[in-house]
This record gives sequence, C-alpha cells and structure tokens, in this order.
Amino acid sequence: MKRFAIAAALSLLVLPAIRAQALSVDEIVQKANLASYYAGDDGMARAKLVIYDKQGRTREREFTILRKDKEDGGEQLYYVYFHRPGDVRKTVFMVHKYIDRDDDRWLYLPALDLVKRIAASDKRTSFVGSHFFYEDVSGRSPADDTHTLKEETDRYYVLDNVPKDPSTVEFTHYLVWIDKTTFLPMKAEYYDSQRRVYRRMEVLEVKEIQGIPTVTQAKMSDLNTGGYTEMTFKKVEYNKGIPDRIFTERYLRKPPRKYIRRR
Amino acid sequence: MRKGIWIALLAALAAGPTAAQELPFHGFVEAAAASRVANDDTTADDMLLEEARFQVDLIHEVDAATMEFRADFLHDGVVGESQLDVREANIVLTPLESLDLKIGRQVLTWGTGDLIFLNDLFPKDWQSFFIGRDDEYLKKPSDAVRASWYGEALNLDVAWMPVFEADGFISGERISYWNPLAGRRFGPDDPAIDPDNPDRSLGNGSVAARLYGTLGGWETALYAYRGHWGQPKGFDPAADRAYFPRLEAWGASARGAVLGGIAATEFAWYRSLDDRGGNDPAIPNSQLRWLGSFSHEIARDQTLGLQAYLERAVQYPDVGLTDQNRWWLTARYTGLFLQQNLTLSLFAFYSPTEDDAYLRPKMGYKVSDEVLVTLGGNVFLGAHDDTFFGQFEDNTNVYARVRYSF
Repeated sequence: MKRFAIAAALSLLVLPAIRAQALSVDEIVQKANLASYYAGDDGMARAKLVIYDKQGRTREREFTILRKDKEDGGEQLYYVYFHRPGDVRKTVFMVHKYIDRDDDRWLYLPALDLVKRIAASDKRTSFVGSHFFYEDVSGRSPADDTHTLKEETDRYYVLDNVPKDPSTVEFTHYLVWIDKTTFLPMKAEYYDSQRRVYRRMEVLEVKEIQGIPTVTQAKMSDLNTGGYTEMTFKKVEYNKGIPDRIFTERYLRKPPRKYIRRR
Repeated sequence: MRKGIWIALLAALAAGPTAAQELPFHGFVEAAAASRVANDDTTADDMLLEEARFQVDLIHEVDAATMEFRADFLHDGVVGESQLDVREANIVLTPLESLDLKIGRQVLTWGTGDLIFLNDLFPKDWQSFFIGRDDEYLKKPSDAVRASWYGEALNLDVAWMPVFEADGFISGERISYWNPLAGRRFGPDDPAIDPDNPDRSLGNGSVAARLYGTLGGWETALYAYRGHWGQPKGFDPAADRAYFPRLEAWGASARGAVLGGIAATEFAWYRSLDDRGGNDPAIPNSQLRWLGSFSHEIARDQTLGLQAYLERAVQYPDVGLTDQNRWWLTARYTGLFLQQNLTLSLFAFYSPTEDDAYLRPKMGYKVSDEVLVTLGGNVFLGAHDDTFFGQFEDNTNVYARVRYSF
C-alpha cells in the first residue's frame, strides 16, 4: 500500500513532466537549431581544425569566428579571421546569412587589399578544405528538410530528415541524434543512394559556458575516403555585445582588435 | 644565383614548422623561375624570371594604433641584383570613432574588375604580372595617406599620394614590345623606354576618392581621381622622351547578387588633361571605359567568371595608331580539387577588335600547409605585331614557383 502511494505520488510528479516534454517534431527541430547555431545573442571562439586524410597526413586551420544573431532562428552575421596556415593568415571571410535567399559572402585578401564578393550558392562545399561543409558551420535551414521522429531513447530524439529538393544535396536522407536535455545534435549520419552511411558527424565534447551547453569538440568523417576533420573551439564567449558594424568592409580591412588578437 | 635560391629554401625547410611557429614574425621564402618558350629575336636570353624571395611580415598592435611592416628581400637573377621591396610600412590610427587613417606605404585597391581596372588607378606592376610572379605583385604599393570615414549609409575613402608612383610598365627590360613610332619591336638587348618622371613635387601627387554604400542590396560607389596616367603613354617631341601625361577620372560602379551569382558593372570617364581637344596623337585620348561582369558557381568548388570590357576614345583622332573602340572579353575558370589542395585555373583575355588573346593557365598544389608549388604560363596570341597582346607573342612563357610559408 505504502509502495503504491509512493508510486502514485511519483507518477503525479513524473507524468506531467513527461507530458510537457512530448514535443512536436517541429519544436524539437527548432530547439536544436537554436541550441546549435543561435546560442546567446552573439558569440566568439578560437577554432582549430585538424584535417586528416586516409594516410593520416594532417593539415591545420586556425581562425577566430565572430557571430551575431539579428534574431533567433533568423538572419546572422559571421566574421572569420584566419590565423593559420601562413598562406591564408590575415584573410577574412565574412557572411551575411539570410533565411529566404542566398547568403552574401565576402573574402578579404590582405596582400592585394582586395574585397572580393564570392559567388557561391552551394552550401554543401568543403569549408576551408575540411570535411565540414559551410552548412555544417553556419547551419542548414530546418525548412530545407522534412523531419520525422524515428525513435526516442532515454537520451536522444532520433530524427530522420529528408531533403525537400534532393537535387541540391548529395545525401538521400540523414539521421540526427538530438540530446533531450541540451537539444544539441550529438551525432548525424548521412545516407547515400545505396542506403549506406557515408558521412558522420560526432560531438566529442560539450562544455557549459556562461550557462550555455556548447559543443567544444566535434568530428566529421567521410567514410568513402577515410578522411576526417576534428574541430575544436577554445575561448568561447557569449553575449559580448558585438556591434553590427564589425561585419562591414571597414573591419575586413581593419580586424577588430577588441575581439581578434593577431601577431 | 640558383645556389642562393636553394640555400634559402633549404634553410627554411630545415627550420621546420615547429620552429616557425615560435618566430615573432610571419612570411615566406620562395624560389621562382620563368622562361620564354618561343624564340625572341630581340634577345638571346630566354630567362624572364630567376629569383629568390624572403618576405617578413610584422604586425604590432597597441591600444591606439596598429603598425605593420611587410617587406621582400629578393635576389633577382635576371638583372643580377639584390633588392629590398617594402610592400607595407604603415600605421593605422582611429582619431575619431568614424574615421580611420592609414599612413605610410600600403597597397590600395578598389573597383569591381577582375584583372581589369577602371577606377582603380593605383600603381600596378604589369611586368611582374606577365613573367609569372604571384598575383600579389600585380599591385605596387603606394606611399599614401588614406582617410576612411564611415557614416550611417555612406562611407568615404580619400587616398592622397604625394609622390607620383609609376606602374611597372613594359619597358623592354624583360618583356619585348612593339614601338609604334619606330615601327619595330624592342627588347632586353636594346630597351628603349626611359621616360621622364614627373618632378617629386606636391603638385605632381595624385588624389583618389571613393564614396560608397549599399543601395537595395547593391554595393554602389562613385569614384574620382586626379594624377597621371600610370604608364608613359605620352611622347614629348621637344625632349624626345616618353612621359606620364596628366589624367583625371570620374566613375561609378555597382555590384550585387543576381541569378545565383555575382553581377557587377563599372564605368569610368578618363579625361586626358594634357590633350583635352584630343588632337595630339602623341598623347592618349580621353576615354570612356565600361565593364560588365558575372561570376557563378558552375559546379561544386568550380567558378566561372565572365567580363566584357570596352575602352572608347572620346575625341577619336583618325591618325591610324589605335582603333576608336577596344573590346576585351575575359573568362576565368577556377576549380578546387583534392580537398581544396589542388587549384586549377585559367584566365583568358580575348579581343575581338584587335584579334589577339592572352591566356593565364595556372596549377597550384599545396604539398603541405607550408609548401605551395605553382606551375603556370603566360601565353600571348595575336595576328599582328602592333596589337596589345599580339606584340608580346614572343614573350610567351612558362613558370614555376615553390613557396614555403611560415
């Protein structure tokens, strides 16, 4: 009897909680999108990419990335200043990301003092030679896929995502494991037309920074070539109050000393 | 000479990436060579480029200012000289929140053209461009004061260059060329252009300005320039010498995203101040210049850029030296392969009015993060000796460069 009372009491506590967590698929997708790409009002980090090829040879990229959200889930501004390797040092890559049209992208080449506008509509191309795509860094629009909840485990929502326009992507669908407490996608597997997984993203480390669960280490593998890239974020800071004007031509020519330390 | 290149390169390679990371400066060492592939009867020497370079780049930042010094120490085997080429030596100050000042030697660039310049009248080095040096060396640095003011919707750049800096023009020193007055080609054994440079006085300086802002998603700009033609296009019969005639230019440009690519257009009106009437065949005519361009990603990591360019003499003197209109069509293909470590590119100029062409094929392979190997060529084609690219036909060359960056 006593046991029953405890069970009943527990169920009273637990059941409403479970019901509250019975999120729709769209809600899960929106929360995951915000958690992974819109943390804080702005953010900055020092990122390091180590690119491994099949033979184990490595290449490295190091950059400082600044991000500002115009609105959660909406337009964003990105500024990427390269520290390494030497041949791209001081190069700046800037993106004004839109939801309903192609992003605007600029590249600043310091040796020529040249502000180049880049014609790049394909977001599924390698980001600086790594196994991550542009879309993995700045986010794939949730509206580009049809999402279904494939499975719910103790820790994850497993979503299946089918592209609405298959001609624009190289996968047929992909599965994402979304952490039920942080809403961070912890793993993603991309399937080719033979229903084989050929590309995999794994989160290796999550840290809480200023109260915000943050991916600080992730790995992207190309299972066809055997190559992979590890991305590590250091010095992550949120809500720095980065002004909009940082994301303009002025600061391509004059990297903002307040946020970017160069030597 | 060749020994020097290899010693410099080996020393850098031996130092290794670990040591390089700890250096208080950055830069590169590079060895480069280019050779003519055709026989040029103006010279017996086929080598156009034979050099070793060591670039250092130092940046120092304090609260109120940023200082940068970037210079190339090079040994040029073709002329047998060692040189110091200071690319940047400047300080950037922000005296007001909306004003930046960059004072000292600096590289200046603006405008929308790809290897075609209308309102960018800052000095270029065409000789470097044609003999296989890195694209960086197409731009010559200027000793200048650049004031940049940033407003809410509009921004203004004013660059003042107190001393005239000529382009690195084709003088015959390395690249042979057609001299229309003599009616023959001149080359390294007998270079003929020794122009009269403007006096180093303040009145001979140049000023360039740009007013720009974004209008409805289009990056738009207005330009103005007053100075000299960058090349000694004038001839003074009294002194029997080439010189740099005075030039004033006004222009505008717009650039924006269209049809999944980037479209741009630019216009310039060149006023040849020493021959406003356009009657003197020894001085360039005033010109209207127009450029239209479109670049588009044609496949993953592959881009195609197309440009159409018109140069029109305003008061066309019918003396038979030049056509009134010169058209150029250009195409640039760039493809990235092997995880972006291999870059293949081709830039082609074709002139339907002059019936000549210029091709720049290039292959760059990043052996590692530090080592870049570049192979390329400069191919000049033309039916006639007296057209812009046709005159350089015998200078068609191939080049190779190895660069170690740290």
